[in-house]
Amino acid sequence: MSVIDQKRQDALQALQEENQRLKKINVALIERVEAGSAVNAAPYAAFEHSAALAEQVRERTEALSVAMAELRQTNQALKQANLSRSKFLAAVSHDLLQPLNAARLFTGALLDQVTEGDLELLAHSIHRSLQDVDSLLGTLVDMSRLDAGVIKPDISVFRLSDLLDNLATEFHQISEAEQRQFSYCSSSVVVSTDLVLLARILRNFLTNAVRYTPVGGRILLGSRRRGASVEIQVLDTGVGIAEDQLERIFEEFQRIKPEPGLQDRGLGLGLAIVDKIAGMLAHPVRVNSIAGRGSLFSVCLPLAEPDALPSLPSHQQGTDQQVIQGSRVWVLDNDPAICTAMYSLLTGWGCEVRTALRVTELQHCFASEPEGPALLIADYHLDGEESGLEAVKRLQSQYGSQAAVLMITANHTNVLRQHVRGLGYRMLNKPVKPLKLKVTLAHLLRQALTPGQG
Amino acid sequence: MQQFSHAYPPVMTAMSDSPDPEVAARQLAEALYHPELAGVMFFCSAEYALPELAAALNRAFAGVPLVGCTTAGEITPRGYDRGTLVGLGFHRRWFSLESALIAELEDFSLPQAQQQVDSLISRIRQREDQSTSGRFFAMTLLDGLSSQEELVLVALDSALGSIPHFGGSAGDDVQLAGTHVFSQGAFHTRAAVLTLVRTSLDFEVFTTHHMQSLATKLVVTQADPASRRVTELNAEPAAEVYARMLGLQPQQLNPKVFALHPLAVKLGQEYYVRSIQKVNEDLSLTFYCAVGNGMVLTAMQPQPILPDLERRFAEIEARIGAPMITLGCDCFLRRLETEHLDSLDEASAFFRHHRVVGFNTYGEHFDGVHINQTFTGVVIGGVDNR
Repeated sequence: MSVIDQKRQDALQALQEENQRLKKINVALIERVEAGSAVNAAPYAAFEHSAALAEQVRERTEALSVAMAELRQTNQALKQANLSRSKFLAAVSHDLLQPLNAARLFTGALLDQVTEGDLELLAHSIHRSLQDVDSLLGTLVDMSRLDAGVIKPDISVFRLSDLLDNLATEFHQISEAEQRQFSYCSSSVVVSTDLVLLARILRNFLTNAVRYTPVGGRILLGSRRRGASVEIQVLDTGVGIAEDQLERIFEEFQRIKPEPGLQDRGLGLGLAIVDKIAGMLAHPVRVNSIAGRGSLFSVCLPLAEPDALPSLPSHQQGTDQQVIQGSRVWVLDNDPAICTAMYSLLTGWGCEVRTALRVTELQHCFASEPEGPALLIADYHLDGEESGLEAVKRLQSQYGSQAAVLMITANHTNVLRQHVRGLGYRMLNKPVKPLKLKVTLAHLLRQALTPGQG
Repeated sequence: MQQFSHAYPPVMTAMSDSPDPEVAARQLAEALYHPELAGVMFFCSAEYALPELAAALNRAFAGVPLVGCTTAGEITPRGYDRGTLVGLGFHRRWFSLESALIAELEDFSLPQAQQQVDSLISRIRQREDQSTSGRFFAMTLLDGLSSQEELVLVALDSALGSIPHFGGSAGDDVQLAGTHVFSQGAFHTRAAVLTLVRTSLDFEVFTTHHMQSLATKLVVTQADPASRRVTELNAEPAAEVYARMLGLQPQQLNPKVFALHPLAVKLGQEYYVRSIQKVNEDLSLTFYCAVGNGMVLTAMQPQPILPDLERRFAEIEARIGAPMITLGCDCFLRRLETEHLDSLDEASAFFRHHRVVGFNTYGEHFDGVHINQTFTGVVIGGVDNR
């Protein structure tokens, strides 16, 4: 055999062996593939099976751990909210608000009509007592709403003086009546925060200052710029707080024992509310005090660019009473007591009033007076399935009415507030205070007179 | 009493390097024993005289449930160790432990697994007054030379359901002569111990390896599943093919080579290392895990071990905080590789820092899968981490 033949022979044999091996590999692979992932007694198949299962478990575990993390957070929030107490408070407060609302409207009407002697004094006493109940109840409602997490900040940009000027006027009067001196330094800075919640914080500071400052003492409301933020301060020359008490004053139902002679109408929730609101807005709160000398309470909030201010409303014209006088106001409320009270109050202000307990009655009003009202006041909660809001919306479009709308409700949620606002309506919370109602009516009627605003 | 019991931390660790069983057991007990012990887990060198060690441990820990196994090296509070006894004591305020001996590995079936797991869970629940709400995890210790891991684990896995599971196969310092698990007061071969733990502390069961795949694939064309032997790869004698791939002669193959040049099976997206135990005279390869015809093996390349571990620990600690204790099952081939790279001290420092104790295994268990050349275990977070 030649060398070449030998080489060919070797190559052929190598190829044949290679072929044999490949065939064998092929057979082994076929065997494995055909065994599939069936679970049988073979240990290797068991391994494959458990590995495949483990893969699935891993995926599910990942999804689960994400869900667990979320649950943990929710759980935390729930615990803090102390839900059962809050729900109870909210329910009780809600039920109390309704009759209180009627009572306040009645006394408002009464005050307008009684102008002399003992009766007037009595009426004023009732009025003041109701104010106290109202503010206590308001505190409880606030606390339960804060705990239940239903209050969400509604951040806007505004000039700080818009808020402080009003507070100063209010507390100037209160201080004067209580024989304390009140000083105020205005500030023109522009801030970004929730106006209503900030007002709540400051009102609590100021109320405390008045409460814990003896007759003849001084109270100061002012502010200081600190870099990109402003610190609003309330100083007083009151009884002060001992150092070991400083931590505790922000806990619920904690009160410093008032000095004899100091009036005491609080529940000890004021600073707990401040603490919760400040935490929610992320505004640091500071307290500094020397027992027997006085206290400084302050809250720090971020400044905003003046450019960010919304355009100013048109100048107001005429007094509120002049604007309201003679206007057509219709009221829809399923509570006869409220309708009666509203009727007395509004007629007292010189309005042409019609009241309706049901939507059908309101339809009769529209039928007999097609031009409709200038302003429609409706309770959000009616007896039927339809809410006051839906009813009013429906009637407005049915009769082509352009009336301004004011919704009255005990539902304090932001969702509803925003929904109402989105429809171009206004909303007032129960209990409705006559003065607030008057201001709001005047505001709505002015807007109706100047088209394009709103 | 209440205050007294609080003086002890949730998990305590201790070790003894005395070769005398009596002394070692006593030293462990002196460090771990307190009246609120829920149970003790220990790992011991296979060098100990086992009957004597069992007797000494039973005396020293009278009344305390004990489980454990022999090792191919220990991880003690000092780091990598050898010839020692290391233990963990669990405080019943934070832990409930129950364990069961699986004495007949060959006949272990799903109904048995179901019954074992159910009874452990109900025993833990009955002691609800003593401890602990919280989550369960399961730990298995298995005779590492029994060749029964896969079938036992697949049965346990089904029974455990969603309970996280890990474990290790007992070793014997690479003598391959006899590995033992300890339960019910004695050492056993061809047996396993299943321990169910419930704890109110945060924990995470995990596994990690440091391998990257290479291009070479080998097909098992002839194997004996019962003895875990692969006689042929690509239709040639297995040891020859494996050695040729590495540019070596079959007689040059040893555990160090196996550690540095592992083979793996790819299932889904995951590579599972199948570690080689030894070369036989007929040029077949014996594995530490189940083998079968048609199994496709991929050549793997180890990456640095510690950076991989560090990454894994960082992930876990980001979730549950610094570990109070990590119970680790570390494949002895990883230890071999670390030794070979002369980084034992570095690894020991890492273990001390992350509070790892445990042992070197002949295979690890994770969620019912028998795996090789991994670090597998549980990280338990501190009381303040929650």
